[in-house]
Amino acid sequence: MGDVVQQVLSAGFAIAVAVAAAGAYFWGTNWLLDKVLASSPRMTSGEMSRRDGLRSAIRPWLFLFPSLLFLSVYLVYPVLETFRLSLFDKTGRSFIGFSNYLWAFGDSNFQQSVLNNVLWLLIVPALSTGFGLVIAVLADRLWWGNIAKSLVFMPMAISFVGASVIWRFVYDYRGEGQEQIGVLNALVTWFGLPPEAWITIPFWNSVFLMVILIWIQTGFAMVILSAALRGIPEETLEAARIDGANGFQIFFTIMIPQIFGTIVVVWTTITITVLKVFDIIFTMTNGQWNTEVLANLMFKWMFVNFDYGRGSAIAVILMLAVTPIMIWNIRRANAEEGTR
Amino acid sequence: MAAADTAAARDLPRPTTGTPRWLARVSVGRLFTHAALLLLVLLWTFPTAGLLISSLRDKDQLAVSGWWTALSTSLTQGVSRIGTAADQVEEAGRFVIRGNIFGTDTNKQVDSFGLSNAAPAAAAAGQTLPMAAGGEITVQRDGSFEWVSDTAFTHSRGPRVFYVASIAPRFTLDNYIEVLTASNVGRSFINSFTVTIPATVIPILMAAFAAYALAWMRFPYRGAIVALVVGLLVVPLQMSLIPLLSLYNNIAQAFGAADGKAYLGIWLAHTAFGLPLAIYLLRNYMAGIPKEIMESARMDGASHFKIFTSMILPLSFPALAAFAIFQFLWVWNDLLVAMVFLGAQDSKLVLTGKLVSLLGSRGNNWEILTAGAFVTIVVPLIVFFSLQRYFVRGMMAGSVK
Amino acid sequence: MHKYLLAGVSAFAIALTSSAYAQELMFPKGEGAFSWDSLQAFADAHKDLSGQKLTIWGPWREGGDQEMFESVIAYFEDATGVDVEYGSSENYEQQAQIDAAAGSPANITILPQPGLLADMASKGYLVPLGDATKQFVLDNHAAGESFVSLGTYKDAQGNPQFYAVPYKSDLKSLVWYSPDNFADAGYEVPQTFEDLQALTEKMVADGNTPWCIGLGSGGATGWPATDWVEDIMLRLHAPEDYDAWVSNDLKFNDPKVVEALDLFGWFAKDDKKVAGGVAAVGTTDFRESPLGLFTVPPQCFMHHQASFIPTFFGEGVELGTDADFFYFPAFAGKDLGRPVLGAGTLATITKDSPAARAFIDFLGTPISNEIWMAQSGFLSTLKSANVETYSNETLKGEGQILLEATTFRFDGSDLMPGAVGAGSMWTGMVDFVGGKSAQEVADAIQASWDAIK
Repeated sequence: MGDVVQQVLSAGFAIAVAVAAAGAYFWGTNWLLDKVLASSPRMTSGEMSRRDGLRSAIRPWLFLFPSLLFLSVYLVYPVLETFRLSLFDKTGRSFIGFSNYLWAFGDSNFQQSVLNNVLWLLIVPALSTGFGLVIAVLADRLWWGNIAKSLVFMPMAISFVGASVIWRFVYDYRGEGQEQIGVLNALVTWFGLPPEAWITIPFWNSVFLMVILIWIQTGFAMVILSAALRGIPEETLEAARIDGANGFQIFFTIMIPQIFGTIVVVWTTITITVLKVFDIIFTMTNGQWNTEVLANLMFKWMFVNFDYGRGSAIAVILMLAVTPIMIWNIRRANAEEGTR
Repeated sequence: MAAADTAAARDLPRPTTGTPRWLARVSVGRLFTHAALLLLVLLWTFPTAGLLISSLRDKDQLAVSGWWTALSTSLTQGVSRIGTAADQVEEAGRFVIRGNIFGTDTNKQVDSFGLSNAAPAAAAAGQTLPMAAGGEITVQRDGSFEWVSDTAFTHSRGPRVFYVASIAPRFTLDNYIEVLTASNVGRSFINSFTVTIPATVIPILMAAFAAYALAWMRFPYRGAIVALVVGLLVVPLQMSLIPLLSLYNNIAQAFGAADGKAYLGIWLAHTAFGLPLAIYLLRNYMAGIPKEIMESARMDGASHFKIFTSMILPLSFPALAAFAIFQFLWVWNDLLVAMVFLGAQDSKLVLTGKLVSLLGSRGNNWEILTAGAFVTIVVPLIVFFSLQRYFVRGMMAGSVK
Repeated sequence: MHKYLLAGVSAFAIALTSSAYAQELMFPKGEGAFSWDSLQAFADAHKDLSGQKLTIWGPWREGGDQEMFESVIAYFEDATGVDVEYGSSENYEQQAQIDAAAGSPANITILPQPGLLADMASKGYLVPLGDATKQFVLDNHAAGESFVSLGTYKDAQGNPQFYAVPYKSDLKSLVWYSPDNFADAGYEVPQTFEDLQALTEKMVADGNTPWCIGLGSGGATGWPATDWVEDIMLRLHAPEDYDAWVSNDLKFNDPKVVEALDLFGWFAKDDKKVAGGVAAVGTTDFRESPLGLFTVPPQCFMHHQASFIPTFFGEGVELGTDADFFYFPAFAGKDLGRPVLGAGTLATITKDSPAARAFIDFLGTPISNEIWMAQSGFLSTLKSANVETYSNETLKGEGQILLEATTFRFDGSDLMPGAVGAGSMWTGMVDFVGGKSAQEVADAIQASWDAIK
């Protein structure tokens, strides 16, 4: 138990050290930069502007350095390693070129996964963002909005183990004649229809799984969009109201354009979450009944079949799938720069 | 965007409070707003409500009947084995075996009972049935039975009594007590906090600076770095486990430790895994801060560092708070990273890990899951509530785009 | 101020952890039918280990297994003074692999899949146990030869080495039932496979549902069906065919295998023969499936599952009284003896140390087996373990089946490559029950096997 005390103290210590170190780093390097490359009246104007230029060329990298360092070690390096492994066989020892990729495109499970992933990508980000936006806007206007938001947010806070139980209570199937403990089948039988094993019906079972992710991600969209909505200057909204705009007009002509950037961010983030979605499928069906998706397939090849080569190849394909979104984001970043 | 007529705006009500004038104008719309939000909230809450009610139910009922039935009296069929010859007492020349078919469970009431699967409701409560082993049995509504025979009982294996019973709605905190009193749960709470707090604070600090640079500073490759950050969002975590763990182990072994499983490692790992989202969200938010604010500050001769710390950081509070919530949630609910980088020994288990192991060691018990899910949800909800107040309108008040 | 804070925190911590470190010996030494001599002999032989640390990674988590294994460890700690830390997790196989690959494995890794261990051995993650241990297993375990071959894999250079000792066995060829329900309905325990089929049909004719079959198992959905098919394979065909099937010398889509699949389908793909109808087979969780035996009225009368399943029977179901088992019988019309399907866990050294070697030795002592035998769910193949220590007649009876077996075969899906045995075969079983034909499913599984060659 001495170690519990030690642990609590060391955690507190870690926070203090981290904050202090980060503060010291950012403040210190800035100070140093200004000191070393200081402009003084004694310098020539050429020297001064050279130093000014140098300072403003170096400063961004000082700000970025810790993040880039972490990203490189923890994410870029594993990505490169993954790419390397994808060119090797299952033991990771012999080089086999692009065989793993050829295998993937010929594999029926892989094809099924791609198809399903496309479905997920079309449906989940759109609905999550849409619902999140609607709830954020509606909740903003009502006195019980905060309560509403908290309730919608709850699914985000539930751990995956809990979420899978919740949805078992919804989709559970018991044979005809037995008492149903799943809400959906209880409803169906109440209307006199036979119960269905929902998660085994191809295509629709994917939709039922998507519902779970939408249910979770809407909270994310709502929180971010709600924060963005609060950023719309009050005066803008009031001006529109004076002009006689109704709620819908305000929503479509003022709010959406004003927070469009954030909507894009939310959409992008959820799209990427969808690409990575794995827990839902793993716990609910593990890809049976044609519900396989890429992330789960990758997990299977990595950690069930222990074929790092094929698992890595699927991972690389998964990462390449995000390229269009990356290009689009570069464009946006550059466009913003143009306006400044 | 045109500047608002501020004089007129001041006279107008604020939408969050809603004064009669505005209400009168759009009261139908207002009602519609209430109804629509209510519907959505109900849809979203319904599954969770099922979990909450389930967590308060008797554990035997969970897998047998739907959670909505917990609110009303329901019927159940059951079976109970009654006493053997060893339990008999002799009273006034007759032999009697007494007991209660529900044991100590007082929640049920016998409607009818029977002696075989084929006829579990042969007699109403209080009536008497002849037993195959001799004598006759009477079962009362409260479950107490009396098996009377003129001759002594000799059976060594108790016969079965079937019953149809009604179960009154009953809610219990037993499931929560079971979860909260399991050994080392407190320790797991501390472990979870130890992991989560630094892993939330550190990435925010780092990402805020990076986001500012990417949003407001000019330098080459800016677009490429933004794209890199977006691209890294998609890296599946599982890919990095083995390379990172072996890196940790190598470092640890260089310093003479057995392996690299320590809190420092998991803090840094979570920090890095959270960075792309943090930078992406914060950069977007900071880029949306009106340019005029920046320009006036630049005009006053403030340095980037000064602008960042004294203006951008406070203005970005909603985004910082939003990210903090998500990073906290993700780390708090994480199981995989904690298991791999910390290990699964009891002393190092985080709360999610503890729950999963509890779940296992008590069989396939849903009551642990349901109660456990709410035990773990409490802390994130507190974080959400306490950070939500930073999403306030008007942080940028006075600034017009 | 600082001092008070510290005191407060530590008081809090004491309150939190007070229950943790009191690991007591479950059975007092010297009492009962336990082989206490073996503990003493073991302690005498391993005197100089005191204070060393030993980490163990294993599969036991569910159904009280972890507590029971820890009760065994307590005797090891008591005898040697070694400080043992046991760990497990939901995805313990994955984590064992991750830790081995990253260089931070436990000293001892215990896994139920020989296929996985073979994979680890080929990557050089395992430490050979040496000839003395190999000889010990050969001499002291029932079916020693098959356990030796089960624990022998090729190392990184391709040389066969002995790596793993058996510790806990499961018996798969069992059918669970409620003796009361059988008696009430006038059914008798079938002695032959023909009888079993006749009984199944008789139950259907009586308007009863004979079987509870549930393949649901979260990420591992489908595996309970693999046990069915393996058991049926052993009853339809010679053990040599079974071995050839497991190594894919006999193709998965061979008529012999398809025949076995179809026979499983005879039981599972008939709405009248399974509780809840065929649609329920794929989705019902295997842990909840046997509960149908004990409902009123019973949802089913029989349940095919391994010896571990009583853990999930629920409170109040007493083994031997409310629930019992019979041997999944063999065909009278085929001369294949009494085949038995089993499974078990194997212990290996993943990081060598004297304490790890001692622990492997410890698993060969009768006492290490008896402590768990006296609790529940543990079957031992160690000949020196005293069968009197089994906690109940059910376990003893299962031990009897093991002894009477004329053919013992290990769970085939655990021996097949993971991509098949823990992948396409599971999917295939789910698809088969979902409506695909045996031939279609067998072709698909064979195709997946070809794809990893």
